[in-house]
Amino acid sequence: MTTPVLSLSGVSKRFGAVQALSEAELEVNPGEVVALVGDNGAGKSTLVKVIAGVNPADSGEIRWEGRPVAISKPHDATALGIATVYQDLSLCDNLDVVANLFLGNETIRFQVLDEIGMERHASELLHSLSVRIPSVRVPVAALSGGQRQSVAIARSLLGEPKVVMLDEPTAALGVAQTAQVLDLIERLRDRGLGVILISHNLADVKAVADRAVVLRLGRNAGDFRIGEATQEEIVQAITGASDNAVSRRRARTADAVSLTEVDK
Amino acid sequence: MPVLASLRTGMSGQRRPPADEHTRVEAAAAEAAQPQRRLVLLGAAGEARSLGLIGVLVLLGIVGAVTAPASFLTTSNLVNILTTASVIGVVTVGMTFVIIGGGIDLSVGAMIALASVWSTTLATQSHGLGGMLFSALLVGAGAGLVNGILISYGRLVPFIVTLAMLVSARGLAEQLSNRRSQIVEVPSFADIALTRVLGVPMLVYILAAVCVVGWLVLNRTTFGRRTFAIGGNPEAARLAGIDVKRHTTLLYVLSGLCCGIAAIMLTAQTNTGASTHGQLYELDAIAAVIIGGTLLSGGRGSLVGSLLGVGVFTTITNLFILNNLSTPIQNIAKGAIIVAAVLLQLRSRAASP
Repeated sequence: MTTPVLSLSGVSKRFGAVQALSEAELEVNPGEVVALVGDNGAGKSTLVKVIAGVNPADSGEIRWEGRPVAISKPHDATALGIATVYQDLSLCDNLDVVANLFLGNETIRFQVLDEIGMERHASELLHSLSVRIPSVRVPVAALSGGQRQSVAIARSLLGEPKVVMLDEPTAALGVAQTAQVLDLIERLRDRGLGVILISHNLADVKAVADRAVVLRLGRNAGDFRIGEATQEEIVQAITGASDNAVSRRRARTADAVSLTEVDK
Repeated sequence: MPVLASLRTGMSGQRRPPADEHTRVEAAAAEAAQPQRRLVLLGAAGEARSLGLIGVLVLLGIVGAVTAPASFLTTSNLVNILTTASVIGVVTVGMTFVIIGGGIDLSVGAMIALASVWSTTLATQSHGLGGMLFSALLVGAGAGLVNGILISYGRLVPFIVTLAMLVSARGLAEQLSNRRSQIVEVPSFADIALTRVLGVPMLVYILAAVCVVGWLVLNRTTFGRRTFAIGGNPEAARLAGIDVKRHTTLLYVLSGLCCGIAAIMLTAQTNTGASTHGQLYELDAIAAVIIGGTLLSGGRGSLVGSLLGVGVFTTITNLFILNNLSTPIQNIAKGAIIVAAVLLQLRSRAASP
């Protein structure tokens, strides 16, 4: 059993009257994709912000490669090796791919931007991730949603992180583009990175994740190995009831199917 | 040769990537293997606009050569155009930075007046040339700093802050000078405008120097790159670890500093410091930046375009004077050009992805 690269235990966070997280736990091993799933308001985003250092936890323990650490600001998280790709992508549409990849972290030679060095590095990085874009010199505005997401993910890798958190990376994407991004997530896993994937889409979760951690009302509501759990079990954990809107709907459509068969 | 270099980029930028997937990947691989030295493309549309403006300048040249054959295409007239363009050109460099960074500076004319008056008070003049130059630059940068701090840290709208500075800086200039022109008593100061090197006045060299430094900073340094980023998406810039507030403040300081330089040039040219200096310069500078292809909303633009914009305006003024046409007609023509430029900008924006 390897030591998890990141593990959280007993993490609680309160915003005024709202207990956003209570005693939440999460573990990520190197080369593992952990999906963080839950309904709206379940505490997924809060947990991500705790790990990213945007909103530090009120209490609880965070261990990095086995030793306890404090993450009180975004810089602490980046310094440890935790990269976060936010949902809104945070790319500058007007800048080209190279400029976006290195924004805030530009390479300079003799006080001048090292365009050749950055372009080479960018091409190598995108190539190694098999990200296909027409040219690293096109403005990001000219790219498709999947390509933009790939650029945002590639950018998070420049700091050589060990854990990457992806917040709803496929939320606004079409089928083919979603597949591109899922491929990319698998490549991150193959590189030995720990990936935390926040997603609403259980199909994506089943396709790419090794484990699904379910949060409900700020508490852990289940931890499933993807190969062993059925979608029903996960949905049940998310909604907190075996009799839920999803199962009722499924039962109803199943009835409808059997009725049509009876008609025949 | 920044102009030539950026033109070349404009051409290569319009090259369409091959449609075939495999060719594209191979092309990308080849690109990775041997990256070529070329400039960052910050919107091919902006560079294409530069080409268009050069066309307009050539057209104006032809009009000049036809309507005023004896006087337009003479060396002295061309030097005259350049000299006229020099003061507003320097202001435009600072304005380009501010607008690309997503702001606007309406106070440039007033800052010029204040810097010119401050640097020509009897007290300042008693410190000689060095004191005068230093105070002009310091007053310009200081006023810009006030603008920047109010906008970034006070979270006020740039339009309002610089409008307030427009009113109050000129008011302060009037207060300091008692609304009288202050004659420059330091002879070496006037030499700034009188000195000619190879037949070209010093003022033109100052403009050239400011432009070269400005171009290098905008296109070759981290500061310039981050200015584009902040103008494009300030939130993304912040998440990338850029101190957006500090950077925005510096942009206004830069604009103020350019106004300080312009004040020195204007004061030397007229041999007086006056609270009436630089009136309506803000409009000329903003107009030049806009017809130069810089987006008023920020994030996209080019210094070369802005300077060509200044060139177009100055040449038109020159043509009108040579042909004895009145200032009102001149102003109508300028207005029409600004509208045409913005219409063109909307078109090219709709065309580009």
